Amino acid sequence: MKYERALIAAAIIVFILVLSYAVALGAMGAALPPPDLRELAKNYLKLTINPWMRNLTVMSPEAVTAIVWDFRGLDTFFETAVLYLAIIGTVAIYRGVYTSRKTVAEDEEKGGMSPIAKSVTKITLPMVLAVAIAIALHGHLTPGGGFQGGSTAAVILLLVLVVFSLHFSMHKGITKGSMLALRSTGLLGIAVTSVLVLILGLLVGCQAFIFQNQPKAYAPAGLPATLDGMLISGTLILFNIFECLAVAAGLTLTFILVLTHEEEIRSAMKGDKHE
Amino acid sequence: MEVLALTLMAIAALLSTLATYLAITERDLLTAVIYSALQSTAYAIIFYLLMAPDIVLVYIPVAVGLYPAVFIVLIKKSERYEGG
Repeated sequence: MKYERALIAAAIIVFILVLSYAVALGAMGAALPPPDLRELAKNYLKLTINPWMRNLTVMSPEAVTAIVWDFRGLDTFFETAVLYLAIIGTVAIYRGVYTSRKTVAEDEEKGGMSPIAKSVTKITLPMVLAVAIAIALHGHLTPGGGFQGGSTAAVILLLVLVVFSLHFSMHKGITKGSMLALRSTGLLGIAVTSVLVLILGLLVGCQAFIFQNQPKAYAPAGLPATLDGMLISGTLILFNIFECLAVAAGLTLTFILVLTHEEEIRSAMKGDKHE
Repeated sequence: MEVLALTLMAIAALLSTLATYLAITERDLLTAVIYSALQSTAYAIIFYLLMAPDIVLVYIPVAVGLYPAVFIVLIKKSERYEGG
């Protein structure tokens, strides 16, 4: 026991020392971080918001969101697809598990945790949701974005699921079906937004690209950068809203499935329960 | 100012190493999850000091909220104490 602990401590210390030594020697390139900006980084910084070069800019002061959803939009699209394939896998494994029993815990008092925990959750629920929505809606202005806002919202929804018991949350509408519908709405929104400018371009009869945001040279179609004087950066705000919906609903869906009682899952897997 | 940021980063890194050691050696898995969340908090501080606020905003809910929650649910469904 003592020997094992010493071995673990020694392993951690040796690993850190070797890693620091390697980095100090220059194992990850000559200098970390590199002292001067690369050309690609210079271009990103120059073009992220640049009203004098309307053919190339994204019109968003937040360079990270501009790179994630505009300069390298296809990468993010496939990342999102991978995350949702994982969630679809969870749903497929739990197929046939019906978590919407409406007979149990119609009122708030039965089930769940103590009244103290419930009151605290009731107070923090609107606050955390407000912060999550603000992170998502300001994604093109300040650090943040759809994924960040969605995972923040998923945390408080998970807290509601645990504190108020699964069955009460079901009664209030946080069910497998509703979360699946919200998640699909978000995904569909992302898919439609990615070809929105292409469709607009085809309708007015000019050239356009997928994941196009602002008008480009030879492709004059595009979404407006400002709406009534407010900066919305074209497709970026739409992507952030839909990503927030999809992430929050997808993660909550996974938690509903994971929190389902073991007996219910077993009986569904044996196949003796059909609804 | 840069020295202060580097010092804070070093403290956070040491804290994370300590938390990693405690999380590995702890037999009570519930406590180990809390040590793991402590390590994630130290990493969040480092990310913030390295000027990556976008990563911090996604790291805090995932690594301190969702990830320990998954483990706590799984521990509840299996065993709380590591055999040995």
